[in-house]
Amino acid sequence: MFNQIGAVTMINLRSIPQRAGLSLATIVSIALVTGVLLGFLAMSNGFRATLQGTGSENVAVMLRAGSQAELNSGLSSEQVRLVEEAPGVARDADGTPLVSGELYVIVDGTKRSSGTEANLPLRGVGEQALRLREGFQIVEGRMYEPGTNELVVGASVLREFSGFDLGETIRLGPNEWVVVGIFSTGGSVFESEIWADISVIQNLYNRGTGVQSIRARLTSPEAIEDLRAWEEEEPRVNLDVETETEFFADQAGGTAVLIEFIGWPLAITMAIGALAGAWNTMYSSVDTRMREIATLRAIGFSGFAAAVGTMVESLVLAAIGGLVGALATYLLFNGVSASTLGSGFTQVVFSFAVTGGSVIAGMVMAVVIGFFGGLVPAIRSAYVPLLTVHRSE
Amino acid sequence: MNDLTLIRKNLFRKKLRAILLTLSILIAFLIFGVLGAFYKVWTSGGELAADDRLVTVNRINFTVSMPYAYWSRVQAIDGVRNVSHASWFGGYYQDPTQFVQTFAIDAESYLDAYPELVFPEGQREAFINTRTCLAVGEDLAAQYGWELGQRIPLLSNIWQKTDGTASWEFDICAIFDGNTDEYPANYAIFHYDYYNEALAFNQDQIGWMVINTTDPARNDEVARAIDGMFANSPAETETTTEAAFNEAFANQFGNIALILLFVVGSAFTTILIIVGFTMVTAINERTGEIAVMKTLGFPAPRIFRMVLAESVLLSLVGGLLGLGLAWLMISGVAEAAAAFLPGLALPAEVFLTGLGLAVLLGLLTGIVPAINAQRVKIVTALGKQ
Repeated sequence: MFNQIGAVTMINLRSIPQRAGLSLATIVSIALVTGVLLGFLAMSNGFRATLQGTGSENVAVMLRAGSQAELNSGLSSEQVRLVEEAPGVARDADGTPLVSGELYVIVDGTKRSSGTEANLPLRGVGEQALRLREGFQIVEGRMYEPGTNELVVGASVLREFSGFDLGETIRLGPNEWVVVGIFSTGGSVFESEIWADISVIQNLYNRGTGVQSIRARLTSPEAIEDLRAWEEEEPRVNLDVETETEFFADQAGGTAVLIEFIGWPLAITMAIGALAGAWNTMYSSVDTRMREIATLRAIGFSGFAAAVGTMVESLVLAAIGGLVGALATYLLFNGVSASTLGSGFTQVVFSFAVTGGSVIAGMVMAVVIGFFGGLVPAIRSAYVPLLTVHRSE
Repeated sequence: MNDLTLIRKNLFRKKLRAILLTLSILIAFLIFGVLGAFYKVWTSGGELAADDRLVTVNRINFTVSMPYAYWSRVQAIDGVRNVSHASWFGGYYQDPTQFVQTFAIDAESYLDAYPELVFPEGQREAFINTRTCLAVGEDLAAQYGWELGQRIPLLSNIWQKTDGTASWEFDICAIFDGNTDEYPANYAIFHYDYYNEALAFNQDQIGWMVINTTDPARNDEVARAIDGMFANSPAETETTTEAAFNEAFANQFGNIALILLFVVGSAFTTILIIVGFTMVTAINERTGEIAVMKTLGFPAPRIFRMVLAESVLLSLVGGLLGLGLAWLMISGVAEAAAAFLPGLALPAEVFLTGLGLAVLLGLLTGIVPAINAQRVKIVTALGKQ
């Protein structure tokens, strides 16, 4: 039994070169379908990884209640002072509370890919801001001098937008600003930002002493509950309190899910087309081997063995297609940098990430195409009439 | 039996094969049609833009406001026919997730700037004369089930009133539509003064200006005059055509055109290869027959044409079915998608491009087998058997 199946399968596989054209067509079509699926998943995974890699459980983000995004929010310096005294907020060795009031405004940057202007976040920060971002480091140049028109630029901004190289001047309103440093935060979303001294930006945008968001280091991840309870009791503040992890997870959701919602139906639709192609190939394969199969049956091979042989051929072609597609997507797209408008209404720079999970999903889809493409031809090959062997073409 | 009958019989001699090929061609054209329609809606911002309309925003970024006084100063510039202004309200209805696209505008000049907005009898005047009126686009009204005469509160996620709330009460006294199906009637407008007087901060600031020039040829000159007027002020401006502004905004989401090109390209490469190799195989199987036809006196060019016609016919059948299905699907979701993708339809040019691609695909996949068939030598072909 197994000998029979093995023998028929080998005959099938060895004879693939005789049907090189159609077999290649199947491989390429399945590779392309897998490639499209993996391309979309790489986009979605990359975007999600950037945002989810950003948050810290130990940092609370506070915005004006109902404002939904840093851009819309507005808070007074009095509220910052109140938060500094709030329960659950950590202090350093000198007893200084680790709280950072920040401004978030948008400036134009020129996208390298299209040459058009896009929204970049300019964050006004004080000295505490650095202590609330793990992994912050200046990779080139130096930090800005407080009180001056100097700014530092995230490494991702530099990659996707022109005009932000070290030493370049940028015009914001009537003033010129100089890029004095490039910073990295280990691939997180802050790398898509430009940072400058908060007091200078408050002046430029007529914000007085107001801020837009407050970040605070928590004494422990559980302390977020103390902070929330305090916020509800304290009439002088009206804040939405979230951990940074939650804050960025919310932002990742919409866009990443949308990309997958477009990617999957597209890939499945294309898969139906490829399935028809694979079916056609296997149908031809059985067709050209009619006499051969009939001969095998005549000398005692079972119909089942013939069917398995056909099915394995189809699965092998599909698996090769899936592997080629996955490999090509990996080589072409993995690590490719792109940017899109995030929910903060500013550009989020991210890198395409072809993940193991998505490669498995792609391979499963390829093999499913191979299975259904080979199913009917396989059944057909099991029922080849023995008389075919005698029929002369 | 004429040639066409022969071509048809040949095509469907192996029914399953013909059906499978048609199906894979259908899928490619379905994807082409659906993505083509989405792409048209996506880029419609550039096409719906009027030639004579300019947009002036703060040079830092369009989310940064500029002084209200700019509005009257621009009116004095030579070559300007009409100036209006608008401010982003950041509105939502009842719950922050129920987002409503709303702008605070100067009514008379805004309606003058956008002649595309069509109002039922009397509602245009009602909007201009009612301070608390909210003019709602038809698609938006349908989304929330709003009716004429209804009083609704809209909240802002940005602005606050001096009384500490962020809620403005509006009377819906006008429901407008666009003059074409493509025009997005999915937003609402209301009087700037009604909003501005209650603002707790950022009073007497406007978001951007919309300028109609007296002649599109003067656009550049007017744009330079406006930006020159505010140079070296705390709020410098940047003036572009409406089309360029819309295009830049669409580009913020990424290179959608390139992504679509990848997908459609993959779909077409797939069928090109599948159909191409199958046609070669199919014609090879018929070598003997073709030799017989030649013996019977069919001239080589006629055989060439017949094989080519067969693949073009196959590709047209699949292509038309695919485009037809795309049309059905798009018509099916157009209503449901009206709020965020207004004017979704399969445009004639996408359909015609699809037809052109179908003919091209037919010719490409048919050319090799057609040449092979034309070259069949009677002696060798019949000798084979």
